[in-house]
Amino acid sequence: MLKVDNINVYYDKIHAIKDVSFEVNAGEVVALIGANGAGKTTTLHTITGLIRPESGSISYTPEDGGILDLARVAPHKMVARGLAHVPEGRRIFLQMTVLENLEMGAFCKGKPAKEDLENVFGRFPRLEERKKQVAGTLSGGEQQMLAMGRALMSHPRLLMLDEPSMGLSPILVEQIFDIIAELHKSGTTILLVEQNAEMALQIADRAYVLESGRVVMEGSGAELAASEEIRKAYLGG
Amino acid sequence: MALFLLYPINITLRRGTRWKRGKRGAGSVRGFAPYAESGGGAPGQPEAKLEVVSLSLVNNLINGVSLGSVYAIIALGYTMVYGIAKMLNFAHGDVIMVGAYICFFICSDFGMSPILGILAAVLVCTLLGVLIEQLAYKPLRQVTSLAVLITAIGVSYFLQNAAQLMWTSNPRIFPAIFGSGGIQLIGDLTIPYKTLVTIGACLVIMAGLILFTGKTRTGKAMRACSEDKDAAQLMGINVNRTISITFAIGSALAAVAGVLLCSAYPKLIPTTGSMPGIKAFTAAVFGGIGSIPGAFLGGILLGVIEIFSSAYLSTELANAIVFLVLIVILLVKPTGLLGKKVSEKV
Repeated sequence: MLKVDNINVYYDKIHAIKDVSFEVNAGEVVALIGANGAGKTTTLHTITGLIRPESGSISYTPEDGGILDLARVAPHKMVARGLAHVPEGRRIFLQMTVLENLEMGAFCKGKPAKEDLENVFGRFPRLEERKKQVAGTLSGGEQQMLAMGRALMSHPRLLMLDEPSMGLSPILVEQIFDIIAELHKSGTTILLVEQNAEMALQIADRAYVLESGRVVMEGSGAELAASEEIRKAYLGG
Repeated sequence: MALFLLYPINITLRRGTRWKRGKRGAGSVRGFAPYAESGGGAPGQPEAKLEVVSLSLVNNLINGVSLGSVYAIIALGYTMVYGIAKMLNFAHGDVIMVGAYICFFICSDFGMSPILGILAAVLVCTLLGVLIEQLAYKPLRQVTSLAVLITAIGVSYFLQNAAQLMWTSNPRIFPAIFGSGGIQLIGDLTIPYKTLVTIGACLVIMAGLILFTGKTRTGKAMRACSEDKDAAQLMGINVNRTISITFAIGSALAAVAGVLLCSAYPKLIPTTGSMPGIKAFTAAVFGGIGSIPGAFLGGILLGVIEIFSSAYLSTELANAIVFLVLIVILLVKPTGLLGKKVSEKV
């Protein structure tokens, strides 16, 4: 579904992403793990066009077939092609209400469909209780739910989640990962960026380890979780 | 410094002759054409004196609200552009001037109806606003805000000089497009039509903007862009288009403000828009920049403070007092009267 091929990304003179390649097949959960500054978020931003690669290609197979080079698609047109990106730090619209945030998630569809709203409220009942509330008054966990709910409003084929567990209590982290597993079960393809390697590897079909802008390891979630190196570096021994 | 030393003496002098000042002030505030005529009342008799003082007070209040409405309409344009594009469009005041000239030419030179004049002004200013944004500001989207600010000042001078070149600096006298009559309220208190139109237009525009940003899809997209452009883009919102729409709305409002301003103060020259532009910017900051009700409140308050200062304290110092109030407000409440401080949860 998504094939990232040898991309290189620079921030001015800093070479942030070096020849990174990976792929995400339809129906998979793929995790990108790695420490702070390894280039995980930059990789996601490059896929959704917030940053452009200097070289390499990002090919995506949209619903209607064919191959789309995402490096040439305007960022605001990605979501209509089925890519939804839940950015790091949630980036919900804090001064807008919960409902308005969800409406923005369905922006490319025009008016949000009733069943989509019901679907999101079904997954996150908390959001329905607070739909008239300004998003800035939500707790961190609720904000993460809103960010995910907002992305789901566009019916994504590929959902990209950037650090969904960041800043959440262990119970909430469990809850968020349960929801990710449910989404996976219902057929959504997921690209997950996480520092919490333990949780990410449990859920991932396959994973890539990024280190200073390079892919240094790849394998199935279980393989990597069992690997000595990974245990030492990311899973606390 | 010397001015400020003299200042208290000035006040006492004015206070001593208050009712006379009041009456004169209502007739010719700051040497501009009057908004409302205050009536006679025989001086010398105590009851009549009291009546004149309160009448002039009401008149000054109406004048203040009316001038404030013009500031508010301009400030709404400032605040919307700031809210979404995060830049101070210092050329906004000069778009006002262009709007006033267009309306002047349509109504005076071609003798067409004022409605046509206003529509033409709105149309030309909307296009001008979008053009300025596309040519001058859009290429600078990724650079420091200081560069954009300097560009905006450059555009402001460009418009003033272009106007001087095309239309010369000879003052034009703006026609009384709203007629010279008014509605008589009680006794001698008459509110001119232009004042009513100005205040009404301001209320309608503010209500319209609140509805637009609160209820429509495009309006909500604007608020999303004002909070977080990258996140808005991820939602599928075309940020560039949204910014252009904002400039179009702001410039259309500037055209309306230009017509209303020149109906009240008919002397039209290429720098007509610059002082009201700066004052309206002050009003927007005063009310909390980025906030629509804030721009409205700031504009009205600024107008009232200005008219009252020049009527009761000092015509010469009216502007200084206006800015003094701004400084005091910002010292007490740095985000402005209705400005919000947003704290982010991590």
